[in-house]
Amino acid sequence: MESPNYYSILGIPRDASQEDIRKAFFDAARRLHPDTNIAPGDTEFFIGANEAYEVLSDVKKRAIYDAGLAPDRPVHLPVAQRIIFSRNNLVNMQDPQLVYALLEFSPSLENLNNLPSPPLNICLLIDRSTSMKGANLDIVKATAKQILRRLRPQDIFSLVTFSDRAETIIPSTQNGDLFKLEARIQMLQTSGGTEIFNGLIAAFTEVKRSFKSTIVNHIILLTDGRTYGDENQCLELADQAIKEGIGISGLGIGSDWNDSFLDELARRTGGSSFYVSHPHDIQQLLMEKFDHLGQIYAEDITIEFQKIKNIELNYAFRLQPELGSLSLESPLHLGPILRNGCLTLLLEFLVSSTSSVNVIKLFDGQVKLRISSQSNPVSSFAMQLTRPVSMTTNKPEPPPNEIIQALSQLSFYKMQEQAQLEVAAGNYDQASNRLQRLATNLLEQGNRELARTVLLEAEHIKEKQTYSLEGHKRIKYGTRALLLPGNGGKLP
Amino acid sequence: MILCPNCQHEEIAGAIFCSSCGTQLLMPKTSKTHEIHTSETKFDSVQVPPLRTTPQIRLSTWASLHMIESGQFVSLADRDEFTLGRVSEGQPIMPDVDLTAFNAYANGVSRLHCVIKKANRKASVMDLGSSNGTYLNGVRLPTHVETPINHGDVIALGKLKIQVLIDQTPDE
Repeated sequence: MESPNYYSILGIPRDASQEDIRKAFFDAARRLHPDTNIAPGDTEFFIGANEAYEVLSDVKKRAIYDAGLAPDRPVHLPVAQRIIFSRNNLVNMQDPQLVYALLEFSPSLENLNNLPSPPLNICLLIDRSTSMKGANLDIVKATAKQILRRLRPQDIFSLVTFSDRAETIIPSTQNGDLFKLEARIQMLQTSGGTEIFNGLIAAFTEVKRSFKSTIVNHIILLTDGRTYGDENQCLELADQAIKEGIGISGLGIGSDWNDSFLDELARRTGGSSFYVSHPHDIQQLLMEKFDHLGQIYAEDITIEFQKIKNIELNYAFRLQPELGSLSLESPLHLGPILRNGCLTLLLEFLVSSTSSVNVIKLFDGQVKLRISSQSNPVSSFAMQLTRPVSMTTNKPEPPPNEIIQALSQLSFYKMQEQAQLEVAAGNYDQASNRLQRLATNLLEQGNRELARTVLLEAEHIKEKQTYSLEGHKRIKYGTRALLLPGNGGKLP
Repeated sequence: MILCPNCQHEEIAGAIFCSSCGTQLLMPKTSKTHEIHTSETKFDSVQVPPLRTTPQIRLSTWASLHMIESGQFVSLADRDEFTLGRVSEGQPIMPDVDLTAFNAYANGVSRLHCVIKKANRKASVMDLGSSNGTYLNGVRLPTHVETPINHGDVIALGKLKIQVLIDQTPDE
């Protein structure tokens, strides 16, 4: 392994600008400041970062340091990348054209075998408003207890409930008395309304209390209702959470919760939201989420990218490990890479004009990530996507199978997104027709159940000029589930 | 700009699926429907061999497909409509009856080739815009038009010949 130098300590390339250096230092400082950090080794690391910043931020000192530094060796990247384009080249023309890129990041093996599975610091944030009464809360309680029993000695757990206000039922605990903790969970009862922000801030406080940069810090929010008026505060808190290295996932139960809000909340931290259509599924989804967190190899993969003239990032979707559409603005928070899997994204670029160049740059980004259970930041690396431009118009070559496969299923999800926009804009007939076409395509694929739901919804929109709460979620998450490997669109 | 062949929606060059109706606009390299020449399909010489096995008929079976080349049977039961075609890797199309096992690719069967329906105790066949066409007793059928079929008729999906055996027993 390369001996650390000031650049590797801050996780920046040798040619980093002063602005990059400053940013990297503040990032490190925020995560590692001795006042907030109790992990052994982090304080020493903070001192190292301080030293590095002192030297590198001073142009003269930096020049002297650089002169004495061993030449930059090619760095072994902690992740392997694979990029597949939908076409070998663009065509030189004034008309707009589309190109798709499938990106895959996977753990590079050398690192994988040396690393222990990272400890968890998770907070279950549970909605205990009146509507959770009955099977919902009973199953949530049972699953919470199951999770408690599965914790390893190194894991940290907390549990916060909320209704009109938040209550910390289990403060951030490591190796707690199982019997006592289970009893506290058993005592939970429903009452009151749904105010997510209060709960979220209490959960955030608990996770932060035991925060370490070398473990997986995560909040899992379970709700069945809508929060009113505090959505923006929640989203701001999510932005802050990801800055500090804390992720958020959301599980929405039943039909009344606000899916676009929960999606956005999770998306801002690189997470996803999930739809639980039936209380029985709570357990499976929650345990799956818990298992996922224990499988994390690298966290908070983030791509910062520059806007390029004549190129528009039209659409971005994460296919693995968790399905979800992504923001189109820099930075893209992509969530984790699991040990046994990859992080797969599909990007759609709209090239408005090629203006007779030989090669066109589609994407110019910088990938940052944190390897769980390692304090040293990993050097960020550049990711550029380019395509040659051909001067002649040939018959378009067939796209690779992987892209077609991803897009064929994604086209269903996109159709329902379109229908949603059409309903929002008041074009009910258009939306209804689109859903009918979607149903036809689903039938063609042999997906009768989802097709029927879509058809019923098309009728509903025609008559009532709005989506039904349940149908809307069934279609959205049903078409999204089509993208799961080996899934026929069945909701879990 | 490209036009979607299905709904005429205009798509930007490079699009792979129609954003309006979801039709696939560009096909992958492999598994394109194998083109065959019509002259290869000779119907005068079709000899339907005697049945080598007895079709296993379930109660709800209303028709059986007798695969002439292999002598095997596929029964159509429980539903009134069956699409015939071949499953191909990387494609979302799932016909109800997958003919891959019967050499469908070499015989020029499309992924979604035709549909066999039952309505009012009458069976019919309809071509779904297949590459090599659907033939009824040697006559090519127009696309997207339902044509009635009778017990013992031979349909051909490209070169793949299938005798349709329709249940003649009256309903209870």
